[in-house]
Amino acid sequence: MSFSRVLFAAALFVLLELSAFAAEPPRETIARAVLAPDTSTRRDLISSLAGKGDEDLAALLDAWRVAPLYVYESEITGRVAVQLVGPKDGNGAQDAIRVDDGSPLVDAAGTPLRLVDSTLASVRITTPLRAAIKSVLDLLDLNSPVASRRIDAIKTLGFSQDTEKEPLLRERLDTETDSKVRIALREAIALIHLASADKDTRLAALGELRELHTLSSYGLLESTFRDAQASGDTAIAEAARVAIRAVDSHRAKVDFLGTLFRGVSLGSILLVVALGLAITFGLMGVINMAHGEMIAVGAYTTYVVQNLFGAGLVIPFFGMNLGLPGMNLQGWGYQTYFIFALPVSFLAAAVVGIGLERSVIQFLYRRPLESLLATWGVSLVLQQIFRLMFGANNVQVSSPSYLSGNWTIDDVTLGWNRVFVIGFAILLVFGVWLVLTKTPLGLLIRAVMQNRRMAACMGVRTERVNMLTFGLGSGLAGLAGAFVSQINNVGPALGQSYIVDSFMVVVVGGVGNVLGTVISALGIGAIDNVFQQYLPAWVTEAGAIPWIGNFLQNLGQDSAVFGKILVLAGIILFLQWRPAGIFVTRSRNLEG
Amino acid sequence: MFTRFHKFAAVALAAATACSSVFAAEKTIKVGVLHSLSGTMAISETSLRDVLLFTFDEINAKGGVMGHKIEPVVVDGASNWPLFAEKATQLLEQDKVAVVFGCWTSVSRKSVLPVFERNNGLLFYPVQYEGEEESQNVFYTAEAVNQQATPAVDYLLEQGYKKFYLLGSDYVYPQTTNLVLLEYLLSKGVPLANIGGGFRRDESGNIISAGKYTPFGHTDYQQIVAEIKQFAAGGGAAVINTLNGDTNVPFFKEYAAAGLSAESCPVVSFSISEDEFRGLPADQLVGQLGCWTYFQSIDSPANKKFVADFQKWLSTTTVPGIVKTGRVTCSPMVLSYNGAYLWKQAVEKAGSFEVDKVRAALKSGISFDGPGGTVKSQPNMHLTKNVYIGETLANGQFEILEKFDAVYGEPWLKGKFK
Repeated sequence: MSFSRVLFAAALFVLLELSAFAAEPPRETIARAVLAPDTSTRRDLISSLAGKGDEDLAALLDAWRVAPLYVYESEITGRVAVQLVGPKDGNGAQDAIRVDDGSPLVDAAGTPLRLVDSTLASVRITTPLRAAIKSVLDLLDLNSPVASRRIDAIKTLGFSQDTEKEPLLRERLDTETDSKVRIALREAIALIHLASADKDTRLAALGELRELHTLSSYGLLESTFRDAQASGDTAIAEAARVAIRAVDSHRAKVDFLGTLFRGVSLGSILLVVALGLAITFGLMGVINMAHGEMIAVGAYTTYVVQNLFGAGLVIPFFGMNLGLPGMNLQGWGYQTYFIFALPVSFLAAAVVGIGLERSVIQFLYRRPLESLLATWGVSLVLQQIFRLMFGANNVQVSSPSYLSGNWTIDDVTLGWNRVFVIGFAILLVFGVWLVLTKTPLGLLIRAVMQNRRMAACMGVRTERVNMLTFGLGSGLAGLAGAFVSQINNVGPALGQSYIVDSFMVVVVGGVGNVLGTVISALGIGAIDNVFQQYLPAWVTEAGAIPWIGNFLQNLGQDSAVFGKILVLAGIILFLQWRPAGIFVTRSRNLEG
Repeated sequence: MFTRFHKFAAVALAAATACSSVFAAEKTIKVGVLHSLSGTMAISETSLRDVLLFTFDEINAKGGVMGHKIEPVVVDGASNWPLFAEKATQLLEQDKVAVVFGCWTSVSRKSVLPVFERNNGLLFYPVQYEGEEESQNVFYTAEAVNQQATPAVDYLLEQGYKKFYLLGSDYVYPQTTNLVLLEYLLSKGVPLANIGGGFRRDESGNIISAGKYTPFGHTDYQQIVAEIKQFAAGGGAAVINTLNGDTNVPFFKEYAAAGLSAESCPVVSFSISEDEFRGLPADQLVGQLGCWTYFQSIDSPANKKFVADFQKWLSTTTVPGIVKTGRVTCSPMVLSYNGAYLWKQAVEKAGSFEVDKVRAALKSGISFDGPGGTVKSQPNMHLTKNVYIGETLANGQFEILEKFDAVYGEPWLKGKFK
């Protein structure tokens, strides 16, 4: 007997038990639940609300999921369940509302009371209550105007296989117009039919589930198949097997498209972090080990901008405390911080990059080994500076609402932040291409990179061009940092986790070639995700061969790690074959 | 005629007299603190150094241990396991400390173990660990697997969850814990098909590893979260998370972005305490579960006093390098605190600082009313204590959902559920 049925039985029992209160308004039931001595009584009382109530009740239950309700005790009123609403004043007091009738709580003289939450006994929601509230809300949600809430409610009812609710769902199906909700309804009805005693109903349900082939029905289909096989019911077993196959082939499609998307999104991140390096290393030939720290500069800048939009922050630096006031924005005003953080991150990293070029790198052109050592030192210094300014702990960067959430098309989940990074990468590549080919600066950059002396003879101030090119490369790293802050930790060692990836992408793509960088980033991202997704399946198939099977199975289980190792091994082999990367840059340099 | 020996003896005697006259009023006992104050583990371990110094000050203010003031000898293991062994040698052989409080990771504990056994030292170890160990030279105030992982699973089973996805960082604690949990889940009637994350088998087909593992510092959780989403599609699924440290951030960010939540598929984490929340986006973890033997939110006078005293100490301390703002208390900190008091009581019961006598006293069952409730030492060098299941709130604290009273710490679980 499943848990949900136990719950249902308990709810029924309580329903009978509470029939004396049948006429009681739902709000009063909640008030009694708040005053109840323990969680199980509370749960029973709330479960008894199933199928009753209105939007008002839904709002109250929803509010309870977020903030506790309170018990107010006084000699005049006795114990009263109250909800605290509205903003807190200077003393921390809020307006108090009676839970049982929704009216303001008043004292003997009839003036509304204002109460402080910490002085009251609170009744907070816990997981068992949350489940009970969800099942009550689900029934209310069946008529919710929001399609996704309706789907959630329908799914819950379907999986509980509660035959009592079937007519309710059927009724809804007649009026429902949204195609996704209709599919959920059909699935839920079929799942309920699957629990039926009548064999034909079950066969019909299996046929319906085969047609719908939803991923969520897989578990129940499998258990139906096992039960049917055990009881020797071949017709049902066969129907279940066919339905399972249909879900499997749907799953294969979802996996393929999902992997493709995840590969492109990982590739885009690699591209974004490597683009700056493609300019400093690719075009200028400077091995900049501090590139990762430029990414960190961008990420920390995003953190600072976020705090400036919020409550402000204090940065301790060499014994001084630098206090930055915040703008205390709320809601959408605050959420736009990320839009502003992008250009600021670019500028901040570009300024740091130009400083680095002027102070260290300008003395090291044409001396790659020395520049490697010197910039490695710079990277350590920068990490220590981050530690001094922002502490050794990670700092928290919150994602704005337009970057959280997702978009689900036919069971393939596309996270907003991932969609954003793909668009962002396209824009960046396009922007870099524009700068390099369509601006005077781009012309100078290309001239200097192709033949520095000749360019200098033609009157190009090569020193300045070097500085600006390095600034551009660092600025792009800063933009990457702003984005990375949305998906990863922002801490002093942030840069370290990207430096290897960046060099890998640039070297494979062909030094000095932006198109090569794009192709290699997307390729590495896609191959990495393909290995992660399909390695376990491949090794199961290879499992027939005794030790190879075992060896591969061990690889497959750690697919996240071995995917990476295989990609690295592939890169090493590739570079043996084409040492200069995918595209070899033709240059007029003799060394080239 | 004065021999060289006589001269030396005279000087020594004079020195001893001088010393005793200086320290007559102030008898001290040296106590070692061995934690990483730099390197990757510093984020977590400096908090334990802080709480130990606080505890020693508190004990000293009440008159010390058997009339001796505690003199802490703080050394830095620097997140470097061979260095831990060297520092332990220094504490035991050179500084001759009476007891050492320290270590966080299992690998640091394993590397100092031979040093403590060789010198017959005594180490108090405060952080939840995988079990399968019982040294006479280590007192484990830490949570054993049955004081964290199995109660959490019991709770989930009780709530009606039927499918479990195992996910962890790739090292000894998650690997061992998940193997124990696998046995435990199977013994509770959860079929193998309902356990997600994959299995690794040896040549004869025995499972040698269960669950999905990622290295420290892994950032791309897209594929794993997509797998969890499919695993959870039919409902009734939960994730058991033994990821360590900041890899939790990309994991939970991806988890939220994929539309998974505590209501659709809760995550119970064993390595995230209040202290870790200082670096995590707590608002994205609301409703997710944690299981420890202490939460800062425990509503008892003893705990309130402990939290207030610690905050007050932080504001007045002059020890350099202590972060003073935004501090919280968490289970490893309280277990360090409890350890210091248990040692004090054991010394006083034994009437001696000698390790053998103190150990015997500890084994006899000493109890202490700590901030997380009463703890009692066991003959197997572990602690009997209360276990709490909590739900994450947006402010990085836990709301306590369930409490298991006086759970006996049992390090040897593997093979017990078959």
